Amino acid sequence: MSQRDAFLSRISGALGRDRPPQLPPSAPPYSVGPPDEIAERAALVTDMMKRNADNLFATLAHVAESAGWNVARVPDPRAAGKRILEIAKDLEARLGVFSPHPIVRAALRADPFAGSGIELLPVALGLDESESPQRGRERLRAAMAVADLGITGVDYAIAETGTCVIIPKAGVSRLVSLLPPVHVALVERGQTLPSLDELFTLRRNDFMQGETRSYMNLITGPSRTADIEYTIVTGVHGPGEVHMILVG
Amino acid sequence: MQPRTTQFRQNSASALADERIQRNLAGLYSGFHSARIDASSATADWESLRARGHEIKSHVIENLDYYLNTLADSVERAGGHVFFAKDAEDASSYVVEVASKRGIDLVIKSKSMLSEEMGLNERLEAEGMEPVETDLGEYIIQLAGDTPFHIIAPAIHKSREEVSDLFTERLGAPRYEDIEDLTKEARRQLRQKFLAAGMGISGANFLVAETGTVALVTNEGNGRMVTSMPKVHIAIAGMEKVVPSIEDLAMFLRLLIRSATGQMLSSYVTAVTGPRLHDEEDGPEEFHLVIVDNGRSRILADEHLRESLLCLRCGACMNACPVYRKVGGHAYGWVYPGPIGAIVSPMLTGLSDGKDLPYASTLCGACKEACPVKIDMPRMLLYLRKELTQGDSYPEHRSADAAERLAVKGWRASASSDAAMRATNLAARLGQALLSRGGEISKMPGPLSGWTDHREFPRAQKPFRSRWPLGDDAARRPRDER
Repeated sequence: MSQRDAFLSRISGALGRDRPPQLPPSAPPYSVGPPDEIAERAALVTDMMKRNADNLFATLAHVAESAGWNVARVPDPRAAGKRILEIAKDLEARLGVFSPHPIVRAALRADPFAGSGIELLPVALGLDESESPQRGRERLRAAMAVADLGITGVDYAIAETGTCVIIPKAGVSRLVSLLPPVHVALVERGQTLPSLDELFTLRRNDFMQGETRSYMNLITGPSRTADIEYTIVTGVHGPGEVHMILVG
Repeated sequence: MQPRTTQFRQNSASALADERIQRNLAGLYSGFHSARIDASSATADWESLRARGHEIKSHVIENLDYYLNTLADSVERAGGHVFFAKDAEDASSYVVEVASKRGIDLVIKSKSMLSEEMGLNERLEAEGMEPVETDLGEYIIQLAGDTPFHIIAPAIHKSREEVSDLFTERLGAPRYEDIEDLTKEARRQLRQKFLAAGMGISGANFLVAETGTVALVTNEGNGRMVTSMPKVHIAIAGMEKVVPSIEDLAMFLRLLIRSATGQMLSSYVTAVTGPRLHDEEDGPEEFHLVIVDNGRSRILADEHLRESLLCLRCGACMNACPVYRKVGGHAYGWVYPGPIGAIVSPMLTGLSDGKDLPYASTLCGACKEACPVKIDMPRMLLYLRKELTQGDSYPEHRSADAAERLAVKGWRASASSDAAMRATNLAARLGQALLSRGGEISKMPGPLSGWTDHREFPRAQKPFRSRWPLGDDAARRPRDER
């Protein structure tokens, strides 16, 4: 008997049966809805996100502020680029790293950092074809470890909690929003979900469609602790200063 | 962690006498407890969420074999390895084996109460490896060679001065007065470890059966480091942590986080599904999930106690408990303190050692009211008290000693017939004449001594039977009418 079978038969025994049931247990109390309607529900969510984009954006701005983000609202990507430069100058930054999300590339297209003396480095493998992935990862990690700020886009934002959702993939590192002491997140109009429920409906739909990713981060404000005398201190291991720039 | 559940009485007495601990415990109440009440009132339909959470977790526990089987398939489909560990020893050995195979000796860890339960750090150290706790509270505990005081804030019993002394002594750091400076020092120290470690070990707040996802709730960012930086990530989880679908996470994250710290959402929620995919920028090459029983199937098999496996480990019952709030986490002598700890610790470490724990409750019900999944802790505490006395299901755990059992048997025999009763009464009258002085008994022998240790026992006068003559109404009337 395999180690898994032995373990499971002990569990079955404790529940008064011989082996695990092969079929899903009857009437699972799904908290949101059954799996066979997932595509329809996901379509409703996507539709609502577009229709309520303005309201959701306004709520997000308000809630994110109370969750510890510094929130700024700008009309277009170009203005977002300028805002990022202001933040970097306030920090007296020398090196910034960024994930080349389309919105970040759009914000930096007009080269707002030209002549500022601040270096900007994209965190993505394969930009230099002569470099092995192994070496590329080491080089980028070393840069992120000394960078003064990290700039990313997001996959979604959540109005209920003031959260940015980042799903790492090609061109989206796990670490740009983690290693530098300051994180700047660009959120586009139409990316805001009302609540956690809709996020997980969309993710379940992605999973059902075979679009899987190994990681997802929900980021709500700065890194913080209250482990010594209940005193809140920010910037323990992750960024202590976080900016949310709402674009559009 | 070696259980010290036998020492509840001594430990609580010393905690009660310790002013610093009493001060810190008061902070726990005004901090976490009030924040929980604010956050739950700010959540729409909080009460129906709790009911739903109870329902879904109960469903999973009743079908745990099915869900664990599904979970293991899903993790493997995502490219991860699954190991089912019967006990702490099994689980620790697997971790050691994976590390040895890759020649890893520096291991970074994010907070896991299961790892405390397993004594994983001691085991890794014994194998010549260096485990480093990276949650600030756990880091302090590890440097001090101490054990967690609270499952959410493990080092909350230590003052800033103590932490400062500890950092100076153990890390050669300058003397810091300020909590912010202390935190920065920890950041500097641990950053080096994050960059160098070969393995990251995390716990798990939820395991999603359908997708094979491990969900982690953290605030400091160390959980993200541990799951992203090293080549190998091992998540260790108690077998009860399963939820059916990723859609259930929305509700359970609300219930857990709002009950634990009172935040609407923790700074970070991280969902890990297998190792990094080939086109992803970074992340571990290997992912392992270790699912641990370590006595939980014993709880599962007892339908009176099964409900304790619904626990999300938020700590709300501790913060609400009038006993925990006076005696603190160390008094309970094991990883899980407070009302839920008084149920699971005796079951996981041996009921006869932890026999005082089910009595460490006033049965006021504050724990049940605070619990985000409505676990009926008072009911289970009462059940354990009954088991400790009668030992129907666990005769081996029966705490009543031979003399007490003999006495109860004797009483039963003596009350079984009128003649036996009369004979016993006569014997007792003669017996007390030997023990009493001046109408009072100040010392009774053997197991009866508990009645006379702290007070005088009045000598019984006329037997009740002779004061209750059949047909005489006088004795039945209230005293002042007589």
